Amino acid sequence: MDKKIYERPLIIKQQSGLMNKFGSSTINAPVTEIDRVPVKDIVEKFGSPVFAFSERKIRNNQREMFRIFKTRYPKVQFAWSYKTNYMNAICSIFHQEGSWAEVVSEFEYEKARQLGVEGEHIIFNGPAKTAAGLERAIKERAKIHIDHFDELYLLIELTEKLNLTADVAIRVNMDVGIYPKWDRFGFNYENGEADQALKRIVLNDKLNLIGLHTHIGTYIMSTEPYKIAATKLVVLANKLKENHNITLDYIDMGGGLPSKNTLKGQYLEAEQILPSYEQYAEAITSPFFNLTMPPNEFPTLIIESGRALIDDAGFLISSVIANKRLSDGRRAVIIDAGVNLMFTSFWFKHRVAPGQNAGSFTENSSLYGPLCMNIDCIREEIVLPALKKGELVVIMNVGSYSVTQWMQFISMRPNIVLVTEEEEAVLIRANENLEYLTSLEVVPEKLKTFTLH
Amino acid sequence: MSKSIDSILYSYAQIFFSNRKWFGAIAMFSTFIVPQIGIMGLGGVMLSNLLAYLLKFDKDKIEAGYYGFNGLLFGASAAYFFEITPFLIFIIILFIIICFFMSAALEHLLANLFNLPGLSLPFIITLYIFFVFTTNYNTIFFKGLNFEDYQFLSFIPDFIKIYLKSFSLILFQSSLISGFILAVAVLLFSRVHFVNSVLAFTFNYFFVNLIFPEVSTDLLILTSFNSILTAFALGGSLVIVSRKSIFLIILSSLMIIVFAGFFSKLLVNYLLPVLVLPFNFVVLSTIYSLKFRKDQTDMVLLYFKPGSPEENYYYHDNRKNRFAKFKFVFPELPIFGEWKISQGVDGKITHKESWKHAWDFVITEGGKEYKTDGMQVEDYYCFDTPVVSPMDGEVARVIDNVDDNKIGEINHKQNWGNTIIIDHGEGLFSSLSHLKLNSIKFDKGDSVKKGEIIAHCGNSGRSPQPHLHFQFQLTDKLGDKTFEFPISHFLEKDDSKFVLKSFDYPEENTFVRNIETHKALKKAFDFQLGDEFIVEYNFNGEEKSEKWEVDVDMLNNVFIQTDNDAKVFLYPREKVFYLTHFIGNKKSALYYFYLSALSVPLGYLDNLEWQDKYPISTTVNSFVKYLSELTLMFAPSLKSYADFKFEKRINGSKSFIIKNHLVNEGRGLYKLFGEEGNGEVEINFDGEIKSFSFKKKNSNITAKIKIKED
Repeated sequence: MDKKIYERPLIIKQQSGLMNKFGSSTINAPVTEIDRVPVKDIVEKFGSPVFAFSERKIRNNQREMFRIFKTRYPKVQFAWSYKTNYMNAICSIFHQEGSWAEVVSEFEYEKARQLGVEGEHIIFNGPAKTAAGLERAIKERAKIHIDHFDELYLLIELTEKLNLTADVAIRVNMDVGIYPKWDRFGFNYENGEADQALKRIVLNDKLNLIGLHTHIGTYIMSTEPYKIAATKLVVLANKLKENHNITLDYIDMGGGLPSKNTLKGQYLEAEQILPSYEQYAEAITSPFFNLTMPPNEFPTLIIESGRALIDDAGFLISSVIANKRLSDGRRAVIIDAGVNLMFTSFWFKHRVAPGQNAGSFTENSSLYGPLCMNIDCIREEIVLPALKKGELVVIMNVGSYSVTQWMQFISMRPNIVLVTEEEEAVLIRANENLEYLTSLEVVPEKLKTFTLH
Repeated sequence: MSKSIDSILYSYAQIFFSNRKWFGAIAMFSTFIVPQIGIMGLGGVMLSNLLAYLLKFDKDKIEAGYYGFNGLLFGASAAYFFEITPFLIFIIILFIIICFFMSAALEHLLANLFNLPGLSLPFIITLYIFFVFTTNYNTIFFKGLNFEDYQFLSFIPDFIKIYLKSFSLILFQSSLISGFILAVAVLLFSRVHFVNSVLAFTFNYFFVNLIFPEVSTDLLILTSFNSILTAFALGGSLVIVSRKSIFLIILSSLMIIVFAGFFSKLLVNYLLPVLVLPFNFVVLSTIYSLKFRKDQTDMVLLYFKPGSPEENYYYHDNRKNRFAKFKFVFPELPIFGEWKISQGVDGKITHKESWKHAWDFVITEGGKEYKTDGMQVEDYYCFDTPVVSPMDGEVARVIDNVDDNKIGEINHKQNWGNTIIIDHGEGLFSSLSHLKLNSIKFDKGDSVKKGEIIAHCGNSGRSPQPHLHFQFQLTDKLGDKTFEFPISHFLEKDDSKFVLKSFDYPEENTFVRNIETHKALKKAFDFQLGDEFIVEYNFNGEEKSEKWEVDVDMLNNVFIQTDNDAKVFLYPREKVFYLTHFIGNKKSALYYFYLSALSVPLGYLDNLEWQDKYPISTTVNSFVKYLSELTLMFAPSLKSYADFKFEKRINGSKSFIIKNHLVNEGRGLYKLFGEEGNGEVEINFDGEIKSFSFKKKNSNITAKIKIKED
């Protein structure tokens, strides 16, 4: 028999409300293991805090999403959005599952190439491509998604200079009835810029127009905008076919599908209010069947889904540093992972669960990180059971953007481990150390010595 | 000049249904054992062919010897039957001209009216006219040549002597040696022919003695050479050789005896010889009647340009093995993505008796068809997913107003639920049932394209949980009997690999999907008329180069031809590319390309595998093959096939690689004989076949292909 849990005494205000059959517990069940590997063991081996990713979950997410799209449209290709999580191991899992790479900078481009992704399988997005980056992309036959006219002119110049043909698509922005409009990226559909850009590309024999791209936003909470976006791109594709007899290789619908994380402004849990992925897929694919070419010539549908595929596969395991009581009487828990590791906690209410079996008495608490900064708050308000110093908490749905947007601020970045399908935790990125951090620093000679009194 | 010699030699070969020049040369040589017959025969050929050239008949046919062999037979027979005088030569020349016109006319007539070959009918008719005509003179003497038996050959048993005599009489030779030469030539040309001749002779010997106990040697020889010629025609040259050929040979021997008996009695009054009349009569009537069988799958009549019996067999066998299942239409699975066949043909639940040729489709993930507890139709992965048209067609019937059942409930009143029936023409209909309420996007009379969404998967009718029911049928009737018809191309998942299935029936509990074509593969195997390639290759250490050109023949067969006498025929389909057969120079790079790219699915998947067969005539070239052909009639002893797969593409690879493992395998005694080879074809992302290689015992080739730009 397990030893009974010691629960520190709590004083809880007696509340009399209406009775309901659901009970009142909104506490997350403890997360003691990830794919049968105890979180305790992970911390013992890799320290605290530590990021853990579930390989099984990533693969399942990817396969499920792919199946959902693939059973609704004949040609589907996924491209892994590098910025969401570009750990080499993570990217490799997606590439093993057949995803191409979607990159938005030269750095990401090089990372994909270094991993062994061929130029042909890289989608080069972003508003800030440099001449050098474009040159490499042209030579390696990457799919270049043109963002603005200046880039188009640069591309024309480069293809002339190199005497090479570039495979290009344009990014199109449009009014899909949501706010904010992401009209800073790509060519606008409504004002005719997109048409103009396409015309210029078609007339240039060094630019090979192979696709259309849009990305309407991120964490889009309804399906209708996708439907509108797909409809508009299909109109463009049909026009290209009709006026220039161009059959596109693909239409890239971008990503932005929401994950199961709940936004700060949301009252209900994300899972309860968001449409299902099937509904998103239906909204995206159904307008494609208005394409005027025969079905066997339909362009491939490219999906650049990021967060929806990885968010719930990422866990941040952290330890309690201290408990304290705030001036208003609220309980505060300080843990060793803060906003430096979870930039995303500025807009998401990440789920937090105890990392070991906990008692049933809970208390409304604030969860703070270790930084000596007032903003370092993971959750302003969260119901937690009583936690002791040294006990573990598991912050969930941190798979996307966390390990790309994290900051080396005040403290150093921790280990990242992958819980493999074989149920083993393996290191995929080692924690940083002083040597690593200072290796790029240069101290001028005259600053090397000082005297302190 | 060489072509006119060809036309002469082929004329000699034609008589034995041979298409080999050397055979013609040997046959010609054998006629000169009795020089006057040889000279008259040769004269007959040359005159006939000259006439055909002058009158501008089809040059290909002249070269193949079609117009020469009747003249040859006439010339030889005239010398055989008559004392040659200058006057008679004049008359004979006249009759050779008549014989030529007769053969041109009869060939056309029989081909157009009955689709039959002319055989030696023109010769027989001309000869009869000649016989009757010569009775106007009393200066022309009929003489029977004495058959030269040779004393020194007296050790040969009579039985074999008669066999050899029969051979020599086919060319009106009166020498045992001619017969011997011809018999050996036949053996070298075709083992099947030789075995047929022995069988036909033996059966004939037995039956003649049975039917006419007091048989004369003349009648025995007459029936023998007719039987042998008939066995050539029906046992391999005009009908593809098979086990049933024995049956045809026995039957035709009997008929030959009957007709020989009949014609000899009938013609004796007019002093006309019977000669090859029974052969013509029996072959033409047998072939013509075989054409009217309802099922033509055995004793198959030649439907292509004739070769040797072996070549005919290999060509047909290859077609049968690889393409016989091919229909004129190419239906695909009516789904997107990967589905599981939850009930297949002859299924346990409902696919029984007249309704057995049907499939039920569901989607599973992790072995389950639904998420959560599966109590709502929406929980099922397949519910509300698109259902697409398996082929182009016209909507023939739509039922779209049946409610979807709750899980576990069944609607017996409207068994089929929401259903769309599509008319694909040619009398073929497909029916898709249990669709979602109000999901059918078309009305009766609308046309639909293959792969176009027609409805969504639902749970209406006799359906306790969401699934798609799919069947072919022959009418637009709801719930009509199913019709057995295959899916043209699909991929079956087998553990971690995929297997390409062509014109096959998806099996229960397998996971299936359509082929998704890849742009690069599609482009690489899209050979267009006039495309030219330069192939530089290293063959066993020697650097060579050859030119390929894509061309098309009169029958619209597209082929690649090289500048070193090799040719391979292409059969490009929407989802799979095939090379049908190869002819010519087996030292060419094209030959090894044929071996390595026999068939290629135009879509890539990790671990996609497929198998295909070669006609052994293109892969095995040795004494063993010759030997095996002696028993080809009973069962082929050798087979030749290859396992193909796409090499798994790992990061950094810039191309698709097709791996091929060729196996030549023997049965029984031929087990000792076995050969293996390995091939590889590389296709780059730009859709160009960059290179290929093939390694087997004694051959090692690596080749690079360059597209020739104009």
